Amino acid sequence: MDNFIEELKVKIIEALALEDVTPDDIDPDAQLVGGDLGIDSIDVLELVMLVEKEYGVVIDSKELGAQVFASLSALGEYIQKTRKEG
Amino acid sequence: MTDGRRVFITGMGIISAMGRGVDETLAALERADTGIRPLTLFACPFEEPLPVGEVCGVANQPDKPPRTHQLALAAAREALIEADRAPDMVILGGTTGGMFATEEYMKQGHRRPPYSQHHAVSSVAEMVARECGCRGAAMTVTTACSSGAVGIKLALEILRRGAARSILVGGADGLCRLTYYGFNALQIVDRAGARPMDRDRRGMTVSEGAAMLLLTAADQPPDNAWAEVGGGGLTCDAYHPAAPHPEGRGARDAMLAALADAGLSADDVDYVNLHGTGTVENDLSEAKAIKSVFSDRLPQLSSVKGSFGHSLAASGAIEAVIAALCIQKGFVPSNVGWRHQDEAIGFSPLTEPRRQPVRTVLSNSFGFGGNNAALVFIAPTKSEPGTRARLTRSLAVRACCCMTGAGWTGDTLERFFKGLSCQGTLSSDRLSEGLPPRAVRRMKRLARMTLGLAVRTVGRADLKEPIGDVYFGTALGALSETHDFLDKLYASNEFYTSPIDFVGSVHNAPAGKVAMKEKVQGANVTMSGGDASFEQALTAAHYLSAEGRQSILVGGADEMHPIFSEVFDKSVPMGASAADGGGMLLLETAGSGTAVTLSPGYMTTTEDVMASLQAAVAWHGGREAVNDRIGALMVGIPAAWRERVTPHLDDFLHWLEFKGPVIDYRRYFGEFASVSAVAAVAAVALMENGAVPGPLAEGEDCPLAGRGILLIGLGVTTSTMLVETS
Repeated sequence: MDNFIEELKVKIIEALALEDVTPDDIDPDAQLVGGDLGIDSIDVLELVMLVEKEYGVVIDSKELGAQVFASLSALGEYIQKTRKEG
Repeated sequence: MTDGRRVFITGMGIISAMGRGVDETLAALERADTGIRPLTLFACPFEEPLPVGEVCGVANQPDKPPRTHQLALAAAREALIEADRAPDMVILGGTTGGMFATEEYMKQGHRRPPYSQHHAVSSVAEMVARECGCRGAAMTVTTACSSGAVGIKLALEILRRGAARSILVGGADGLCRLTYYGFNALQIVDRAGARPMDRDRRGMTVSEGAAMLLLTAADQPPDNAWAEVGGGGLTCDAYHPAAPHPEGRGARDAMLAALADAGLSADDVDYVNLHGTGTVENDLSEAKAIKSVFSDRLPQLSSVKGSFGHSLAASGAIEAVIAALCIQKGFVPSNVGWRHQDEAIGFSPLTEPRRQPVRTVLSNSFGFGGNNAALVFIAPTKSEPGTRARLTRSLAVRACCCMTGAGWTGDTLERFFKGLSCQGTLSSDRLSEGLPPRAVRRMKRLARMTLGLAVRTVGRADLKEPIGDVYFGTALGALSETHDFLDKLYASNEFYTSPIDFVGSVHNAPAGKVAMKEKVQGANVTMSGGDASFEQALTAAHYLSAEGRQSILVGGADEMHPIFSEVFDKSVPMGASAADGGGMLLLETAGSGTAVTLSPGYMTTTEDVMASLQAAVAWHGGREAVNDRIGALMVGIPAAWRERVTPHLDDFLHWLEFKGPVIDYRRYFGEFASVSAVAAVAAVALMENGAVPGPLAEGEDCPLAGRGILLIGLGVTTSTMLVETS
């Protein structure tokens, strides 16, 4: 799981052009959206595309998105759980 | 009536998923039809393709003009069917232009589409002007989904001021992958088709169409008047790139401004044609705005986007046609798709078409970047003409800034004054200097250039009041975002793309960033007019900025993109080196004391260069006045036009008997469309310098001696701008 979280960090930094952020700056359990990273609703949509493209996991509603993107850990768990089920 | 000449709709044309022509459209509205159907225009890999509002029977052969152009031409022909003369001017709202044709080329595996004169959004207005014999300006408003309505407000102001007798104005957008996949990536498309204002609404339906209105200035209604354009209001949310203000602040202010402009109150309104796209956020925010304007005395309300879908730039013009139909036919269309009341919205729109006398219609159009427009249409009746006279305003320069390959303002002007080339492209690092990385992380080249220009310009002025309006000109818009969007789309076989690139790809995104940064809540207008894009932005500023003293930003910029720039702008590959840049000015609408002023001048699309230039001189007071008032000419000759126009320009200068220096400014700044914005800033610097330096005057320093500088732009559009001391 830790490796997977590290992988996600790198992908998120790249997808959202967080040029001044290093993977170590991201706390997996901190609030992902609206927190210190400045990630907002458009970024979330970009991450929805990223998750679907890279992992085949579809997040197609706001309600689901709010849960899944609560934190990086939550995102990682959701992706891994959904992939196993799929 | 609060304003000068009255303005009437004397011709209308429309084409959409609801039918071809006014009669078919009216019949479809009376049946409460919908034009929303499965997509057939292109193959989409989704299991369930999203429904669209498509116009059937539009040919897509490479030898034909692109869809948007064909739609615009169809609407224009109908609007002019009874006109006995060509309109003085064409103003068109657009967002996609020839995008679908460009996509088709790239789809076939061409990373680099062939040169296309039809890609640019401005090419639609230019083609319409040519086809209908219009010799005046062909201007393009590109404020996303409010473009059509903003265009009508601009036409209204120009006609009120007596600067034209008739204007053909409207909006046109053809379906394309950019908008289809882009809105989908934002998760604001309803798979069941748009259900505006409904409790269960899930989003919009992307559609296509065009509508054109012939607007005529007159003291009393002409016999063929459909409706009077009573007024319009433009505001900016300055809140978010793609979401409306949650309380509908900008929407409310636009409606109130439109009513005030028409000299009416909320009680006078019989029907509100809602923007009502069907997205959760738009409809809720619009509903709040409606309630704050009308409180509990709601007029009839409906959105027609459950019938037409959302045709983006066309929608404001389509809904203007509907407003005129309501007034003439005594009819109100229903809100097709609506079933359940949303408690949060708190009202029900009209569920069945209804016959009733309609005297006054308020029509809303809101766009990305919080660009809001509201228009008021009134039954044409005799009344006292207004009194407002021709606009003689001059815009005083409070601060300005430019950038080229040589660097920001000081670096550029230093080389220019020495007669050295500034051509080039500034590195991304230097481009982004002074902009916080976090704040610009989602911005690519054009948006960074534009925000950099704005921050520096505002930083040079000691502003006490917030900036009123923003006007921005760009020929090709955010090419990096547009390219990257399509690149990612095709790389994933049309499954995935970037919502961030989509939001950034609209032409008004850069000015939207400026509006957000500077908290601008007045008009926020982006114009696109090829090599005259900045001139068009200045013209829009001249007519649309409010009376009274306020500061406004007026700028122009175009980015150099390694693939797209040269295929969409013929002059780019002919330049000495790849170049881009832009300029921005902070202007005061009613300056006091002595100041350098910048004013838009003459604008024409007549192909005869000599006749155009002579007409421009006549507009500026004639040959003698120009020689008395003007100390230097700055001429912008796009490389693609150089061979053709140079002999005419020489003849013109000979005819004018102009003795001062003539500066061929593209030789210094390079080949990019909005280079005239740099030239305007350079002209201000020359005025402040008091003389044209020797290296630019082919010899000795040439004192301006209190005289001004006339900037002449050549190409598809011949235009002038005047910098002088008031």
